[in-house]
Amino acid sequence: MTTAVLERPAEVGTRSGSGGVPARRAMVRWAWRLFRREWRQQLLILALIIVAVAATVVGSAVATDTPPPANSGFGTADHLAAYSGSDPHLTADIQGLQQRFGNVDVIENQTLSIPGSVSTYQLRSQSPHGPYGQSMLSLVSGSFPTGPGQVAVTDGLASAFNLKVGDIWHQGGTARRVVGIVQNPQSLLDEFALVAPGQVTSPTQVTVLFDAGASNASFGPSVHTPSPSSNTLNPETIVLALDTVGMLLIALVGVAGFTVLAQRRLRSIGMLGAVGATDQDIRLVVLANGAAVGVVGALIGAVLGLVGWLAYRPRLESNAHHLIGTFQLPWVVIGVSMALAVVATLFAAWRPARAITRLPIVSALSGRPAPPKQVHRSAVPGVILLVVAFLLFTLGGSSNGGSGGPVILGFVVLIAAVILLAPFCLVVLGRFSRRAPIAVRLALRDLSRYRARSASALAAISLGVLIAVVICVVAAGRYANVLDYAGPNLSSNQLVVSTAGGPDDVRGPGNQGAASTVTPSNSQAVANAREIATALGTTNITELDTTSANLQRAAPGRNWNGPIYIATPALLRAFGISASSIDPNADILSMRPGLPTTSDMQLVYGNYFAKSGPDSFPCPTGECLANPVIQTVSALPSGTSAPNTVITEHAVRQLGLQASSSAAAWFIQTSQPLTAAQIKSAQLTAATSGMAVETKNSAPSSAEIINWATVFGILLALGILAMSIGLIRSETAGDLRTLSATGASSSTRRSVTAATAAALALLGAVLGTVAGYVAAIGYFRSSTQNGGLAALSSAPTTNLLIILVGMPLIAAVGGWLFAGREVSAIARQPFD
Amino acid sequence: MSFLEMRYVSKFYGEGPTEVQALSDVNLSVDAGSLVAVMGASGSGKSTLLTIAGSLEKPTRGDVLVGGASLSKMPRNDQARIRRRTIGYVFQDYNLLAGLSAVENVSLPLELDGISAKKAQAAGMAALEELGLADRASHFPDELSGGERQRVSIARAVVGERQLLLADEPSGALDSVNGEAVMRLIRTACHRGVAAVVVTHDAQLASWADRVVFLRDGRVVDQTSPPPSPESLLTAVPHQ
Repeated sequence: MTTAVLERPAEVGTRSGSGGVPARRAMVRWAWRLFRREWRQQLLILALIIVAVAATVVGSAVATDTPPPANSGFGTADHLAAYSGSDPHLTADIQGLQQRFGNVDVIENQTLSIPGSVSTYQLRSQSPHGPYGQSMLSLVSGSFPTGPGQVAVTDGLASAFNLKVGDIWHQGGTARRVVGIVQNPQSLLDEFALVAPGQVTSPTQVTVLFDAGASNASFGPSVHTPSPSSNTLNPETIVLALDTVGMLLIALVGVAGFTVLAQRRLRSIGMLGAVGATDQDIRLVVLANGAAVGVVGALIGAVLGLVGWLAYRPRLESNAHHLIGTFQLPWVVIGVSMALAVVATLFAAWRPARAITRLPIVSALSGRPAPPKQVHRSAVPGVILLVVAFLLFTLGGSSNGGSGGPVILGFVVLIAAVILLAPFCLVVLGRFSRRAPIAVRLALRDLSRYRARSASALAAISLGVLIAVVICVVAAGRYANVLDYAGPNLSSNQLVVSTAGGPDDVRGPGNQGAASTVTPSNSQAVANAREIATALGTTNITELDTTSANLQRAAPGRNWNGPIYIATPALLRAFGISASSIDPNADILSMRPGLPTTSDMQLVYGNYFAKSGPDSFPCPTGECLANPVIQTVSALPSGTSAPNTVITEHAVRQLGLQASSSAAAWFIQTSQPLTAAQIKSAQLTAATSGMAVETKNSAPSSAEIINWATVFGILLALGILAMSIGLIRSETAGDLRTLSATGASSSTRRSVTAATAAALALLGAVLGTVAGYVAAIGYFRSSTQNGGLAALSSAPTTNLLIILVGMPLIAAVGGWLFAGREVSAIARQPFD
Repeated sequence: MSFLEMRYVSKFYGEGPTEVQALSDVNLSVDAGSLVAVMGASGSGKSTLLTIAGSLEKPTRGDVLVGGASLSKMPRNDQARIRRRTIGYVFQDYNLLAGLSAVENVSLPLELDGISAKKAQAAGMAALEELGLADRASHFPDELSGGERQRVSIARAVVGERQLLLADEPSGALDSVNGEAVMRLIRTACHRGVAAVVVTHDAQLASWADRVVFLRDGRVVDQTSPPPSPESLLTAVPHQ
C-alpha cells in the first residue's frame, strides 16, 4: 500500500497542534453535512429563528413606515413659511425669503368644496420641478400641467368629479384639460387639483419652502421647522429590544437542543478525537452547526419576512395614507436581527461544545454521556440581581415614562437574575423528592442532577411566563384606572352619530388645519340620526346631551378622560335604569367601578374653564363642586365613547347648567353587529349634513390582552418544555431502560416524564410570576402617574391561576401522553 | 527497534471501594513492521491496553512511548497530532462518519492535519484503490457493506505516513472471509514497516501475528513468539 502524502505542511498550527485552515474547513464541512442530514432534529430552533427574524422584518417595517414622514409638508426643505392668501405683505415676505435664502419653493392653495359634499379639495399651483416640493408630488399617469388650460387631479378628485385624462373640467368658471393623475406621496388623503405655477388667482394659503441651514435666527410666527422626534424609544429601538429578548429565549431553548444533538453525535465526536482532532476542532463542529442553524434560519426568516412585507405593504400604504417604498425598510434593524440570530445559536451551541471536549474520548466512543457535575449554586447572586432589578424598576416608575432606560436595564438585570436563580430552584425541588413515589422521585432527582442543562430550559420557561405575567399585570393595572379609562370605545352593535368632527385632518402642503366648518341645525341633525337608525333597522336611538360640566381630580397622576352626558330619562330608560334606583342626591352616575371612592374628585363647570392655573382642592364654589356624589350604575354601557358616566338632572339643575345643555350626539344600538356596508352607508348619510359617525374601533379590551398574553406565555413555555423533556429523556434513557428491566410498567415511564414536565412547568410558572411581580411592584410603587401600587389590586387572578396551576397540569398530561415512545430510539444514534 | 513501548503501565478506574484495576504493570514493546495480537477474556484489559497505547486514555501509572516520544507529559494537542500523523485506529464497529463519503472519511485525518482537501482526498483515493474500493469512494457509509466499511476504516487508519496501527476486534462484525481479508491488509501494512497491535478473540486471526500476548485480569500472563501455525494456537492456552 502506498498511501504516504508527500506534501504535508511542515508544522501547520504547531503551537496549537491544530491543522489550520484545512482542518477547520473539514470540520465545518462535516458540520454542514450533519445539519443537512439532521435538520429535522433542529427544526424547533430553526423554526423559532425563522419566525423571530421574519417577525422582526415585518414588525420593524410596519413600526417605522406607519407614522407619516417626519418632514411631511416640508418636502426636502428644512423650513416652511405659511401665509394667508390675503396677507397684504405676502409678496414682500416671499421676496424677502428669496433674497435671504436664494432658492424657495412657493406653493399656492385655494380651498374649495366638492359640490354636494362636506369634503374639500385644494386648487394648487406648484412647480413639479420645484427645488423642495418634488417629494410631495408624483405623477400616477399622464403628465404635469404646463400651461394655463391644463390641470392634473388626484385619484379621489377624479372620482368625485368623474374625470379622466383628456377630459375638459369646468371648475370655478374656467375650463381646463385634465392632463394627468397626480398624488402627494407623503399624504394620500391630500386631495388637490394641480395647475401650473401662477394659475391660482385667489389663494387661501401660500406655503414657501426653503433651506435656512443651521441658522438659529428667529423667522417669526409664520415660519416652522419639522418637529424633532421627542421619543428616545423609537420604533426601531423597541423592535430591536423585543427581538433581543426573543433571541435570548431562543438561545436558552437552543442550549438544550444542541446538547441533545451533541449527545446524539457522541460516538462520531469520539471518533474524531481518536483520529487526531483537537479540542478546538471538536468544538468547531458543534459551533459550526450552531452557526449553520443561525445563518439558515436568519436567511429564510429574512426572505419570508420580505415576502410578508411585500404582500402587506399595499395595505399598510392604504392604512397609513402615504406611499411607502418597496424596500423602504429599516435595514440596520434587519441586519442586527439576523446577526442576533447567529449570535443566539452560537451562544446556544457554545456550552455543549465546551462540555463535549471535556468528555474522555473512550467514553465518547462508547456513547456514554458525561456524569452530571455536582455544582454548588448559591442563590445569593440571583437574589442580589433581583433586588437591583426591583430598584431599577422603581427608578423607571418614578420617571413616569421618561427615558425608559432604567426599565430596559431593569429587564436585562431581571432576566440575568432568573437565569441565575433557575439552578438553585432545581436544587430546592430535588430536596422535596425524598418522600415522593419512585417515579416522581426519579424525575425530580434527575432534574436536580442534570441542572447544568435543565436550568437553561427552566430559565427560558420562566422568561416566557415573565413576559405573560408582566403584560397581564400591567394591562390589568392600566385598564383598572377609572379616571383615564381605556378599552374599546363601543360594542360592535353600537354607533354614535355626533355633530362634532368632520373630515379627518389632511396634512398636505399648505392645508394644515383645514377642516369643515359646516354645522347642521339641530332638527337636521336629529333627522339625519333617525334616518341612520332607520336604515340600520332599529328604533333604539338615544339622544346624548352635554353640558359645560366635566369631572376632574385635583391630584397628580392620570386625570379624567371621557365624555359626560346628561342622565336624561330617555337615556336611563334606554339602558333599563329605573328612576327609583337612582340616589336623589347623586350628581354623577357611572359604571366605572371605584369612581365613587376616588378622592379629590370635583365637578367643574362654567367659568372654571376660562381660567388657567394649578388645580386646587377644594375648588372655588360657583364654578366647581368638590366631592360630587357619585353612584355606581353597572347598567350603563362600558365603551369609552359610550355614556359610561353621566351627570344627573338633579346636578344640572342644582348647578344651573340647563342653559349650557345641548344635544351632542345620538347613541344607536342594533340587535346584530354592524356590517361594513351598514357602517359605510351610515357614514355617507352623516357626511351629507356635516355629522360624524363613530363605530367600534380596534382597541382591544382588557380581557382580550390578558387572555392572549396568558395563551402566549403558556404556549411558549410548553414549547420550550417539550424540547427540554426530549433532552432529559435522552439523558436518562439508561435509567428508564433499567426501570423497564426491573419490571416497571409503561405507566411508570409515563409518570416519570409527566412528573418531570409538571415540575419544570410549575417551577417556571412560579419563578416567572415572582419575577413579573418584582418588575410590576417596583415600577408601580413609584409611578403616581399610573396609580401607584393600587393599580396592582386588579391583578387578573384567574389568568395567573391558569398559568400557575393550569400550565403544570397541561404539561403533566402532555408528558404522560407523549411518553409512550421507547427511549432507545432517541437515546443514541448508531454509527454507520 | 521498538516503535511502541509500554512501560509498567497500570490503569485503575474509580476510587476507594469501587476501584477497578484494568491493567497492572503491563510491559509491551512492538517493533516497526511487526504485528502483535492481544488476546484474553472479556474484561481482561485488552481494549484498555489499546486505548492507552493510542493516547486515547492516560495510564494511572507507567509510561507509553510512541516512536521514542513519551505520551505521559505530552500536551493534549500534541497527542492529537500524534494520532493524526502516527497512529491509526481500526474499530470493531468501523466508526465511520455518516455525513462523509468513503474517500472523505479516509482523508479526514489528513485534512485535520492541515493538508488541503484536494490533496488529502487524492491520498485517500489512493488508499482506497489499494484496498480495491476505488469505485465505492463516493459512497456514504450507509451505502457500503460491512466488509467494505471495515476496509474503509483500515484505509483511514493507514492513510498518510502512519507507523502504528491499533485495531480493536477489527473483524468482530465480519464473516470469516472478510475477517481474513482484513488481517491480510493489516499484515500488508506491516510489511511496509508499520507496527501493528490487534486485539482479537479469534485464534485463527491471531495466527497472522508475529507475536501473541495473552492478558488476564489486566496482567500479561503469556506471550508466544512466533506462533508455529494457526492450529497450534488453539492448543497454546495459557496456564490457569
